[in-house]
Amino acid sequence: MSRYLLVENLGFRYDTVKVLRNVNFALEKGAFMGIIGPNGSGKSTLLYLLAGILPLQEGKVVLSGQDLRRYSRVEWARKVAIVFQEIPPRINLSCLEVVMMGRFPYLRKWRRESEDDERAVQWAMEVTHTWLFAERNFSELSGGEKQRVMIARALAQEPELLLLDEPTSHLDVLHQLEVMRILLHLREQGITILGVFHDVNAVAQFCHEILLLKRGSVLEFGPVERVMTREKITELLGVEFLESTHPVSLRPFFMPLEIRKKEPKGIQVHLICGGGQGVPFMKRLLEEGFSLSVGIVNRLDSDEEFAIRCKIPVVQEAPFSSFAPETLQKAQELARNAHFVLVVPTYWGQGNLLNLELARTLLKEGKRVFLFKAGFDSRFDYTGGEAIIQLVELQKHGAQVVEDVDEFLALVHNG
Amino acid sequence: MSRRQNKRITLISLLVLAGAFLGIWFAEGVGEGHYRLGDSMALFSPSLLSSTERTILLKLRLPRVVLSFMVGGGLSVCGAVLQGIFQNPLVDPYVLGVSSGAALGAVIAILGHIYFGLFTVPLFAFLMAMLTTFLVFRLSLVGKKIPLEVLLLAGIAMGFLFSAFISLGMFVAGENLHQVVFWTMGGFWGRGWPEVKMVSPFFAVGIPFLLSFTRELNTFLLGENVAKSLGVDVERVKRWLILAVSLVVAACVSVSGVIGFVGLLVPHILRLLGYQDHRVLLPLSLLLGGMVLLFADTLARTILYPVELPVGIVMSILGSPFFIYLLRRKKRET
Repeated sequence: MSRYLLVENLGFRYDTVKVLRNVNFALEKGAFMGIIGPNGSGKSTLLYLLAGILPLQEGKVVLSGQDLRRYSRVEWARKVAIVFQEIPPRINLSCLEVVMMGRFPYLRKWRRESEDDERAVQWAMEVTHTWLFAERNFSELSGGEKQRVMIARALAQEPELLLLDEPTSHLDVLHQLEVMRILLHLREQGITILGVFHDVNAVAQFCHEILLLKRGSVLEFGPVERVMTREKITELLGVEFLESTHPVSLRPFFMPLEIRKKEPKGIQVHLICGGGQGVPFMKRLLEEGFSLSVGIVNRLDSDEEFAIRCKIPVVQEAPFSSFAPETLQKAQELARNAHFVLVVPTYWGQGNLLNLELARTLLKEGKRVFLFKAGFDSRFDYTGGEAIIQLVELQKHGAQVVEDVDEFLALVHNG
Repeated sequence: MSRRQNKRITLISLLVLAGAFLGIWFAEGVGEGHYRLGDSMALFSPSLLSSTERTILLKLRLPRVVLSFMVGGGLSVCGAVLQGIFQNPLVDPYVLGVSSGAALGAVIAILGHIYFGLFTVPLFAFLMAMLTTFLVFRLSLVGKKIPLEVLLLAGIAMGFLFSAFISLGMFVAGENLHQVVFWTMGGFWGRGWPEVKMVSPFFAVGIPFLLSFTRELNTFLLGENVAKSLGVDVERVKRWLILAVSLVVAACVSVSGVIGFVGLLVPHILRLLGYQDHRVLLPLSLLLGGMVLLFADTLARTILYPVELPVGIVMSILGSPFFIYLLRRKKRET
């Protein structure tokens, strides 16, 4: 194998608890791999094995073609360094002295530090922007500065492989980004980086490869673009995520779905909306615990996108097209089980006028249809008054007009 | 190390060294016989002294000076090393049960009227000290590791058990009570060159050995995981250091009895003064610990002359308030 780092069938148990099984992956030199997984998935154990902190039990680790077991502790420490999440308390030493401890694998007993050691320390501190406060006492620094000193300490080992165990979780955004920028710079210098991060988006932004670890096993390994999908991340972390694209970096961007639903009411509501007007209604009704269906809406309409993200059944029409009669059929099907139909105030044109026909059909079928007072405003009407006429028509035939969602909810609650 | 820190360390080392010499000079100069302080300078040209003077200065006082300095220094270094290993400020050289073991060994020898030469009591003390350490160590070994809590508790439990035996010994000691009490309080009364000779080999090997692990101890400051990732074989280093510490402490205790304070507090005083780097902390502990015990012993033997106080009492009465002062000052700063 020409791969630089090769991990084969790695397994580990603490006493009787198996925390890692069958972990396999391979990295090229200069790779930047992120590891994510829920708490207790064995991320730290994996890093500790690679760092030589825990003894290998099953499987093997090969670095530059040589088995980890054939390196001495000190030889390994010259190739592999690790940065931890925790910053040691009560250190009453200058930053320079702390970083110099990284030279341990190169130093001989009773010998002073050589010029090589001093050069390595200075490089490590310059790369991490800590050289400025080299003489200052470590305990006086801020959290972000301390973590950078700890990274410098690891870099003083002149590692080829740098391991990081949630190095940014105690830091604010500014310092998180600073640490990530330092890591990118190191990768450019040919250092292979492998980090556990709690922030899914940091991994999406900065890493090339990603390893998803769940209950000690590899769920997926590969390039970020292929592996990081909404489904995978949701499966991995057990939280509903929305996937989007970072507007500037154009990398995948994940947001936990933020709707806190009440107990499901078992009440079905069909929403007739469009032009992005339906989004606040959908959010509110979902939160109140209603089951929703939506339609007809055009694709690329933000109402449609929201409905898809929130897994609301929706009847779509091609983008910027008039609604076809077949689509109307489908919408009638979808809304068949609805207890209520809400016609959201929205813009009307010849293209979507069919939605009002849908409302009338549903009303005829005996469903309770609600209109909103604001919907009668003529500024919504681009059909030369026809839409308003149809709305009035609906009202005549028994559709109820309400002020807002609150009034609708009150009516539903009082039967 | 920066140049500024180097300067500071040189300065404090010189100060402590000067203090140590002053202590030796002072200790030689005071006591029975009422030699003026200046006379102790005559040590360096013994031919000027009368034979009585020579006997008092060279055969009675000098070995005591040397011994108290060695014991004080040895205990302090050992305390600093153990505190470094366990990253715990409450650890003192006796956590491993050395003191109670040594005292019990001595009590057995004294009360059993076992005698086969000058070294009988110290030998018993030494052997029991090592045996106890070994027992405590074995008891607290979980797998291949030595968890600190287990070690501390095993040491304390062993201490209680042995203290009970010692108390029992005192209860039935009769006319030997004084001798037994000496062991539990510690001191240098009647100690001479033979004891120095007995302790010296342990010192000559143990102290340089301990000092050779200063870098490893420094990496422990960053946590055991960091130390391991730097290539330190943490568990092996711990075991070797504990073995070396046990030998040195057992040697000290076997000639001086149980002397508290130095081993716990001298390293702390130095840390409070800002010396956390073991490359500085250990040598300074050696010097300061030696100096402190030497001064304390000199006071102990002269302050209520002709009655001699146990040195541990003197040291604790003078040292503890100073330590509390230092602690308060430090707390106010932070």
